[in-house]
Amino acid sequence: MTDPVRPHLPDMIRLSGYLDGELDGATQREMETHLAACPPCAARLAELRALTAAFDALPQDTLGFDLAGMIAGRLAAAPRPSPERPAPRWWGLLPASLGAAAALTLGTGIGSVLIGGGAAMPRMAAMSVFDTLPPGGLCFGSDSCYSKGARK
Amino acid sequence: MIRFTPEQSKAKRMTAEIDDGEDVQLAARAQMGDRPAFEQLVRRYQDRVFRFILRMVGMRDEAMDLAQETFLKAYRALPGWRPEARFSTWLFQIARNTALDALRRRRHIDFVSLTASPDEKAIEPCDTAPLPEERLADKQRIGLLERALRELPVEQREILLLRELEDMSYADIAATLNIEVGTVKSRIARARVAVLAHYRHHAGESCHD
Repeated sequence: MTDPVRPHLPDMIRLSGYLDGELDGATQREMETHLAACPPCAARLAELRALTAAFDALPQDTLGFDLAGMIAGRLAAAPRPSPERPAPRWWGLLPASLGAAAALTLGTGIGSVLIGGGAAMPRMAAMSVFDTLPPGGLCFGSDSCYSKGARK
Repeated sequence: MIRFTPEQSKAKRMTAEIDDGEDVQLAARAQMGDRPAFEQLVRRYQDRVFRFILRMVGMRDEAMDLAQETFLKAYRALPGWRPEARFSTWLFQIARNTALDALRRRRHIDFVSLTASPDEKAIEPCDTAPLPEERLADKQRIGLLERALRELPVEQREILLLRELEDMSYADIAATLNIEVGTVKSRIARARVAVLAHYRHHAGESCHD
């Protein structure tokens, strides 16, 4: 604090902190010593104390009804609080991913066995439309009905 | 005449800390879905929250609605509360934000920068005799104080309310307002000087009376 012998402006931040008991121990003691010797600072402190006393004397307004009872219905309608769940980690999704991969592999395997594998596939009659001549069709010229080998 | 010393302030805060343990238990139960536990918290804090909001917004009906809104918001936000944070501080944070939102809606908020140089000037006290305690004690002067308080910028008003009416420590105020403890210290000092200046003005006194 400033030299008490020389006139000075009170340090309001320190005085206010002192009033609230928010200075560290050494500064608090330093302030006490200073205040004992500095009438202007002591006067300002008295003023701050008077202000605090005035705040204490302010009317203590109350709601005048039970707010908890009044909002009980709205609380019941509100979603029930539950502790926040942490965001899922990648390893948390591992079992599901493995299951999906296994199902996909199994499905692909079964599919390939059925389509291209050892199972005997019935020849479809409809495929005959790709023959050179339709069944029972007429030959357009001898080359169309007889292969070169057959004519020999 | 009310005397107020740092030692008394400390004692008040110690009482608050004892109550805090019960708050933690109730809040933890409410977090698990125990609605009666939350209702108990509402009963414990309804008047304090209401008073704080009332002095922030100045209108009783609006303060009642905002107090209700504060507790409903708190209930919904309860999963985010952690026992490391004091429940009262967390609740006043919600109350303060609710009040500020209402003031913004009304466009009554006064966005005066508190770091600008005029406030540095404002913190300089006048070097006259102090106001005697008895001069602030009577009803008429309480009315003047209420008026002076209403006229403060919202940043100064809220910090004075938290300190003087709620008896919060600087650390709790810092947590509630989301500012540094050093800022709390200087802002409270400026707010005190400012409210005294407004008071003098309305009482027809001047710095040099």
